[in-house]
Amino acid sequence: MRYVLRRLGFYLLAAWASLTLNFVIPRLAPGDPASAMFARFEGRVQPEAMAALRAAFGFTDAPLHVQYLTYLKHLLTGDLGLSYAYYPSRVSEVIGTGLVWTLGLAGFAVIFSFALGSLLGVLAAWNRGGWLDSAVAPALAFLGAFPYFWLAMLALYLFGFGLGWFPLRHAYSHDLEPGMTFTFAADVARHAVLPAASIVVATLGGWMLSMRNTMVTTLGTDVLRLAHAKGLPPRQVMFRYAARNALLPNVTGFGMALGFVLSGSLLTEIVFSYPGTGYLLILAVRNQDYPLMQGLFLVITLAVLAANFAVDLLCLWLDPRTRAHA
Amino acid sequence: MKRALWWLPAVLLVSCSAEPRPRPPGVLFVSVEQQSAWVRNFNPIFTGAGARWPTRAGVYECMELFIPSTGQWTPWLATAHAWSEDRRTLRFTLREGVRWSDGKPFTAEDVAFTFKLLQKHPALDAGGAWKFLEDVRAEGEHAVVFQFSRVYVPGFAELAHQPLVPRHVWEHVEDPVTFTNPEPVGTGPFTEVRVFRNQVYELGRNPYYWQPGKPAVSALRFLAFPTNDQANLALVEGEVDWAGNFVPAVDRTFVAKDPKHHARWFPLFGSTVFLYPNTTRPPLNDVRVRKALSMALDRERLVDIAMYGYTRPADATALNDSYTAWRDEEAAKGAWVRHDEEAAKRLMDEAGLKLGPDGVRRMPDGQPLELEIEVVGGWSDWVRAGQVLARDLRKLGVQAHLKTYEFGAWYARLQKGEFQLSIAWSLDGPTPYTFYKWMLSPRTVRPVGEVAAANWHRFGDAEAEALLTRFEAESSPEQQKVLMAGVQRRFSELAPAIPLFPNPSWGEANSQRFTGFPSAENPYARLSPHAEPDSLLVLTALAPREN
Repeated sequence: MRYVLRRLGFYLLAAWASLTLNFVIPRLAPGDPASAMFARFEGRVQPEAMAALRAAFGFTDAPLHVQYLTYLKHLLTGDLGLSYAYYPSRVSEVIGTGLVWTLGLAGFAVIFSFALGSLLGVLAAWNRGGWLDSAVAPALAFLGAFPYFWLAMLALYLFGFGLGWFPLRHAYSHDLEPGMTFTFAADVARHAVLPAASIVVATLGGWMLSMRNTMVTTLGTDVLRLAHAKGLPPRQVMFRYAARNALLPNVTGFGMALGFVLSGSLLTEIVFSYPGTGYLLILAVRNQDYPLMQGLFLVITLAVLAANFAVDLLCLWLDPRTRAHA
Repeated sequence: MKRALWWLPAVLLVSCSAEPRPRPPGVLFVSVEQQSAWVRNFNPIFTGAGARWPTRAGVYECMELFIPSTGQWTPWLATAHAWSEDRRTLRFTLREGVRWSDGKPFTAEDVAFTFKLLQKHPALDAGGAWKFLEDVRAEGEHAVVFQFSRVYVPGFAELAHQPLVPRHVWEHVEDPVTFTNPEPVGTGPFTEVRVFRNQVYELGRNPYYWQPGKPAVSALRFLAFPTNDQANLALVEGEVDWAGNFVPAVDRTFVAKDPKHHARWFPLFGSTVFLYPNTTRPPLNDVRVRKALSMALDRERLVDIAMYGYTRPADATALNDSYTAWRDEEAAKGAWVRHDEEAAKRLMDEAGLKLGPDGVRRMPDGQPLELEIEVVGGWSDWVRAGQVLARDLRKLGVQAHLKTYEFGAWYARLQKGEFQLSIAWSLDGPTPYTFYKWMLSPRTVRPVGEVAAANWHRFGDAEAEALLTRFEAESSPEQQKVLMAGVQRRFSELAPAIPLFPNPSWGEANSQRFTGFPSAENPYARLSPHAEPDSLLVLTALAPREN
């Protein structure tokens, strides 16, 4: 229990540090949001509007520490402010348009890729030198070397544009009413296949390889020899003894991967016009939309920390040694 | 057998959903804004707001429309306007029988209220109307009188183009700046939000629209495309009827796919792109040097390489084609925008920038002449343009380098005057007044280091200023033209900035399902849906094709 509390304290500290960075970094960038917005109109809005825009965004020349305190206060009360790029919509509302879809798509893809990759890794190490080990593993590693957005574009061109098997864009057909119907669920699944597949294909090799490598080391340990000697069925040895021990590094990696779900699938989302948070992040940076940027980073930070905390707990269950320390 | 069947539901799920269903007839699919998800905002009076595209000219309307393709004003919610003798009072006569989409009548009270709102909340006054207005009042049901605080004829455009909001709705709005107006009540052709989701929204007809029988289109539908590539793909695939995208090699990729229905019209009504010299820095403060740099440029090659040949080299007035009627032929003939390497070299020699032994010109103090051209890193057309320019300038003996910046940094340097040469756009209005004011007027010059909204090159000319001031007080079109011709000649003589090419206004149409799109043969408005408020004319002119 003390271990859990200590971890929790560490994560709170990490959260505070990242929130502070989140405040500082956007303000170090050159330019200001009103100019950026004005520039987007490329001369179609009279320059007189600029002063008015600044007034509307409520730019303060307050000293930084005052701004910082207001920022923390607003965060604690859950008030993320108004987005500049989508003024005057609330940041929470803007993020809300995409969060569910990103979590759904990238979350599913990462979990699926982790599960499948780890399983393949276990099998490859168990049957060392088999076709899974000698053909599939290098092939996946090869695919994993491609940037995933490039795979996404290729998939879009081949299966969407060329063969027409899958829709070219969006998370669901625009003429369907979203709801808990079978047609809608099928439509969402159909739209998710290509983007999810491009993330899975690009990351599968990594999981498989790292799982295989630790598994090979684990297979050579005395524990395994004992398990074999006891006459346990091979399947039980493979999963209960070898895989469970070998899984630890992969689980740690999984925690990090889960955290990057929110930010990392950005290019895939753009290629498939998937209505996620990735594009919002680019837009926020491009328009110097500090509130939206901070809102997104807040969500990402919290997701990374939460995922890591979950992984800590998982390790506690997987690895008895950590329990002994606690 | 049983083991192999676990994947079957997944395959069924994926394969059973229907192929693209036919699109509902009469619903116009438009692609203007590029967003990954729609945010519900129909606030027409705060320009800084990210209101959805049809808000300012579609849901809401203004009193009169300026059509650059014809150079004419078209009466809209007002039927006429008249200046007083001293040009201090402007009176608009409003159209009778106009109703808001909730059935209430549109009156002069609504117009006066809208402008009072702008006065009360300066952030709403994007055009700066209250810089020249003193008062606005309704005269009965159908006339509005604007009292000017000074004689300022160009102010007419600001007043005529202001989207008008209903008093009975907006007087209850607490803060019109942060109001997202989710259920708009307007006078425009499309006012009913029928669908609003993150990927699609649809606007239905205004049941009380004042033009009988219009609009013929039953609804507007907008799909979210985050990037130009996705929007272009949808256009080529025929999923979009009307778009304003930049399409590379448009004739081959789009028009040739179905020449009977696919059309594009890229008239040069966009703002002119300039190479801005910082005229506070030697040697760029010397008009001979600016003209020499300009003459060293091969603009024909430039528009071919940077703009896919979609535009033409700028002439010496730098005006785009929406000002054709204003263009002064004599000023336009100025030789300093034509490619002439020999003349450019002579001018540089005259200015005292002699060629050194290494082929690089020297400043009077002996330093080699180095100039940096600044552009935004991601803007590929301007980056290409910058490369061509740098090459041409090096031939002149100038050590020219292209330097790319991230947008915020580039724009901050431009505004503060902390650059040597920078590629940027220019400002436009219904008359060339706005354009030249920000090109030549000393009133718009800010000191280096202070943010300037335009006139980044920081140039002012007293003679041009006098002409522009007289223009502000002149309402006779003939006299206006004479004054503007004088301004153009000053521009051509002084070369305050180096014009490159006018921007096309991108517009594509697919007439498979709808007819009545504007074109070069029928230029009743600009085809580009970005062009507000002409888009109102297009929205009311389009009709579903009879089958």
